[in-house]
Amino acid sequence: MKLFAKHNNVLPGFGPTMGYTLLYLSLVVLIPLSALVFKTAGLSWSGFLEAVAAPRVLASYRITFGAALAAAGINAVFGVLVAWVLVRYPFPGKRLVDALVDLPFALPTAVAGITLATVYSANGWVGRYLEPRGIKVAFTPLGIIIAMTFIGLPFVVRTVQPVIEELDAEIEEAAACLGASRWQTFCRVLFPLLTPSVLTGFALAFARGVGEYGSIIFIAGNMPMVSEITPLIIITKLEQYDYQGATAVATVMLLASFVLLLVINLLQKWSRRYAE
Amino acid sequence: MSIEIENISKQFGDFTALDNVSLTIPTGELVALLGPSGCGKTTLLRIIAGLEAADRGRILFNGENTTDRHVRERKVGFVFQHYALFKHMTVFDNVAFGLTVRPKSSRPSKGEIRDKVMNLLKLVQLDFQSDRYPSQLSGGQRQRIALARALAVEPQVLLLDEPFGALDAQVRAELRRWLRRLHDEIHVTSVFVTHDQEEALEVADRIVVMNKGRVEQAGTPDLVYDHPANPFVLNFLGNVNLFHGRTQHGVGVQDNRNAVSYVRSHDIEIDRSQQDSTSFRAEVKHVQKLGPSVRVTLVMDGNAELIEAELTRDAFQNLGLQHGEKVYVRPRQVRVFVEDYQI
Amino acid sequence: MSAPITKHAARQHGSRRISEPAAVRWLLTAIALAFLALFLALPLAAVFSQAFEKGWETYLAALKEPDTLAAVKLTLLTAAVAVPLNLVFGVAASWAIAKFSFTGKNLLITLIDLPFSVSPVISGLIYVLIFGRQGWLGPWLEAHDIKIVFAVPGIILATVFVTFPFIARELIPLMESQGKDEEEAAMVLGASGLQTFFRVTLPNIKWGIIYGVILCNARAMGEFGAVSVVSGHIRGMTNTVPLQVEILYNEYNYTAAFAVASLLAFLALVTLVVKTIAEWQVQRQLQD
Repeated sequence: MKLFAKHNNVLPGFGPTMGYTLLYLSLVVLIPLSALVFKTAGLSWSGFLEAVAAPRVLASYRITFGAALAAAGINAVFGVLVAWVLVRYPFPGKRLVDALVDLPFALPTAVAGITLATVYSANGWVGRYLEPRGIKVAFTPLGIIIAMTFIGLPFVVRTVQPVIEELDAEIEEAAACLGASRWQTFCRVLFPLLTPSVLTGFALAFARGVGEYGSIIFIAGNMPMVSEITPLIIITKLEQYDYQGATAVATVMLLASFVLLLVINLLQKWSRRYAE
Repeated sequence: MSIEIENISKQFGDFTALDNVSLTIPTGELVALLGPSGCGKTTLLRIIAGLEAADRGRILFNGENTTDRHVRERKVGFVFQHYALFKHMTVFDNVAFGLTVRPKSSRPSKGEIRDKVMNLLKLVQLDFQSDRYPSQLSGGQRQRIALARALAVEPQVLLLDEPFGALDAQVRAELRRWLRRLHDEIHVTSVFVTHDQEEALEVADRIVVMNKGRVEQAGTPDLVYDHPANPFVLNFLGNVNLFHGRTQHGVGVQDNRNAVSYVRSHDIEIDRSQQDSTSFRAEVKHVQKLGPSVRVTLVMDGNAELIEAELTRDAFQNLGLQHGEKVYVRPRQVRVFVEDYQI
Repeated sequence: MSAPITKHAARQHGSRRISEPAAVRWLLTAIALAFLALFLALPLAAVFSQAFEKGWETYLAALKEPDTLAAVKLTLLTAAVAVPLNLVFGVAASWAIAKFSFTGKNLLITLIDLPFSVSPVISGLIYVLIFGRQGWLGPWLEAHDIKIVFAVPGIILATVFVTFPFIARELIPLMESQGKDEEEAAMVLGASGLQTFFRVTLPNIKWGIIYGVILCNARAMGEFGAVSVVSGHIRGMTNTVPLQVEILYNEYNYTAAFAVASLLAFLALVTLVVKTIAEWQVQRQLQD
């Protein structure tokens, strides 16, 4: 990576600010993250495989990625709906609701975790209505999905909302003039324009769900093979001083998040393909 | 203060913005840099200001080399295309900014700053708006504040980037005249960038026509209009008709295969009868009334080339031209250039 | 992490002639609000309801507990170090990135965003791998009797990591959208670099900074996963407020757990209010 400012700039301070940026970035982010990579490189292949492909670990991948996928799916559907309603329909208290959407960003995950666990427990506000009908949420994979839906909720709304705001009223009017029904207009004109942002929001929510720890462990019950998520496996291994195992599993998680990051970047590039 | 521009070149990647440009701007003149977008006129202006560094060449102010002098020390006034007013400051604070950032030793007192700013605001006829914020002003008012702010530091050179570009037609016309009057009052060497030939012809003492990073011609408005150096200049300053080929009905007197004749549309006369050997027959195809003038499109007999003639409304009414009517067309003033010059 | 502040155009579509039938609009609005009520409003209400279940006295007693007070102190200290560090970085990075053009800019922005895509647990783990007993610097630190992991420095480091991008990622798009015309105008008028920054740039990005700082602070005070890994959970010593909540909850001391949690929930509400105000201000500035 070559870094140099083109000389056509009279503003001062490029050198110091860029130097500081790179130094601080390296110290805080790049060097510590590379520690993980180097530590993994020190593992033997069989030791690595043993750690990352143990049945209990494999089960945790299934649970983590499966629940994150389900939660992101729920958020994709309801997130588009919420974004649409927030942009298009007037209702009292709209600003309050709009601000509240960001609650999962602002509320510490531990608080979310104990609260969801309480609300969905057998005698909690919601759990008491679900339990008699045979739906157990707390201490099951369903609880994990609920927690992941909570923390991923703002992503879809906040990526889709500005796109709906930017939609030009004229294209809907044009579709109507050409004889399209409202539903046809939405499916054939609007939805294709929203798709990239919906997918981006979905991917962001999915990525957040996969890495999430604090809001899940209280509601998950953490039963091995059933409701144990991968981040918890890393912590458990650390607590047992199994640094090698923790590092190996963490590397798998890190690779997964890099792949997701790449996908998100590509999606964002794709979403700008019609931009002038 | 005079400005000399010596052999300035500037590349942006593969794009040549300026190609060996040399130019002298005499003291006290109001000069227009005129050209299509991408011709390098704004880049040249920014290089004069010191906002951009040239790859090669020198800029001299009053014979003194300023090429390496920082923009802060050049003492230029610069009016940005979108004004770049400080949104969080009042009109007064905007105009006072250049004075209040001076080091304590050379900073005028509060009272002096106040007097100076109010005088400038009077000069631009906005003294009653001094407590307003830029967002509360109209486009034309913002433009004048930007000018007052630039003048507050008593620049030796005033540079304006598309000063009227963002305004609607009527405000534009007013401000143009106002700028001309202002310049007659304060006589600071001024350079402004424009792509509007009318604006340049109306306001400037001297016009520099630029194209593709080069100066095509520089001179008084009369010179560049009446004696264009090449087809580009001719074409950029007003509508022209082209006549290809050797000679056509007496047009294009030079016996050169590559010669092209150019006639401005208001230099074309329309008559019912043949006047002399230079007139030729054509058919009236289309008539367009444009306020005070009328544009008539004709088709030449024989080769079906289109000609545009611009008549005054009076002349048009006297003639009483009809659609499809056969008439005689006579170019009053013909300029011939050799073909290899592409427009 | 939230969408960049600059994209929140609060444009209202006035009276559009073309819209869905009223019944459809009401139905969709009702579903959306029901979803938000179930997933956002209900848990929020539950925090406070649980905290005050046994009355004010129990609530206050839970907050006055020495371990809780120690946790509050540690959390404040952590935020007091992490937020200013990331603020300075955010301003420096956004100045270099938004006001200058250079190759590798997109890569740099991606790297700055990196901590957002790393699981909090991994964010803690990497510091254990460096400073822990078996880590790179472990033996050296042990020889010099310096404790970083399972001590306060580790908690601060992990917090700095997870809150690293907040301020930079708000300021970069904001400063890019503002361009550099005003800075150039200030330079032409004779202002020095510092004068230009403090008198022209800073007032323009003030609300963007407030927005970034408040989000950065919320995360710094509320971080759980990363801090949990490096903390060592020593009561009254290396417990932050979120870790204290966990301990109380796991001891079945629910009322106390929710009392402490209500502090964090209150912080979240303040954050949302300040954030909303900052958003309006930024929008107003950009529209001028």
